[in-house]
Amino acid sequence: MSLRAPLEGSLRYRGQEGQWAYLLHRITGLGTLLFLTVHILDTSTVYFFPSLYAHAIAIYRSTPFMLGEIVLVFCVLYHGTNGLRLALFDLYPSLWTEARQRSAFRWVLGAAILLWLPAAFLMGRSLIVHNFLGG
Amino acid sequence: MAAPFASAHDGKPRRVDVPATWEGRAWVWMRYSGIALIPLAWTHVAIQDVLVGVHAIDLDYVALRWATLGWRLYDIALLAFAFAHGMNGLRNVLSDYVHPPRARRLVNALLLAGWLVISAIGAAAIVGGVRTP
Repeated sequence: MSLRAPLEGSLRYRGQEGQWAYLLHRITGLGTLLFLTVHILDTSTVYFFPSLYAHAIAIYRSTPFMLGEIVLVFCVLYHGTNGLRLALFDLYPSLWTEARQRSAFRWVLGAAILLWLPAAFLMGRSLIVHNFLGG
Repeated sequence: MAAPFASAHDGKPRRVDVPATWEGRAWVWMRYSGIALIPLAWTHVAIQDVLVGVHAIDLDYVALRWATLGWRLYDIALLAFAFAHGMNGLRNVLSDYVHPPRARRLVNALLLAGWLVISAIGAAAIVGGVRTP
């Protein structure tokens, strides 16, 4: 299995909105799954190795992980809004036209960013307060 | 199967029945679990990541939350829906790149095993609850 061809193809193919929606859906889904797997295991330490839980949380409190958490929230929001677009359009197949899809992707991206901004603000504030101002 | 999805084999999108195969059922599962995850996962993220924040989370916080049966049931539902949705999504992605039937069967078997083991670990922790170190 070689990833070179599919990865290069994904970047070179000029499918515009449809391709961006598909690529972002994959990347955000895979990213969320990677975090989810780690998160299930670290939370399980509360039962299996309770003394380790504080270590896991200490890692999540570090600046790189808190930045990653802000990205994660965008992934979850975009994956959900774009998934909702797919489900809705499948309910009304006549909506599957190129023009409608182009504008629908822009609406999805806009909605995901709008939902994300207040969350990113609160999380960013928490990051600055706790990791830089010693609060 | 009842859930319709759009197909455009003749150039015009229309509703077709989902085939009554394992792949068809997996597709329907992705659709319904995905819709369930919008309130489930978004509420979880809004509370834990945004409103509470990782600096307020420790063993006592988890114990306090799991003292309410409703939150344990919520977390069990979230674990079941989210991880199954994610692992089947990974299976779909990998099937785009892994083509030989034997390799695909191996990938599917590994994903199934990983899904069962990690789901069981997570469920055991939610049922067992927080222990004092």
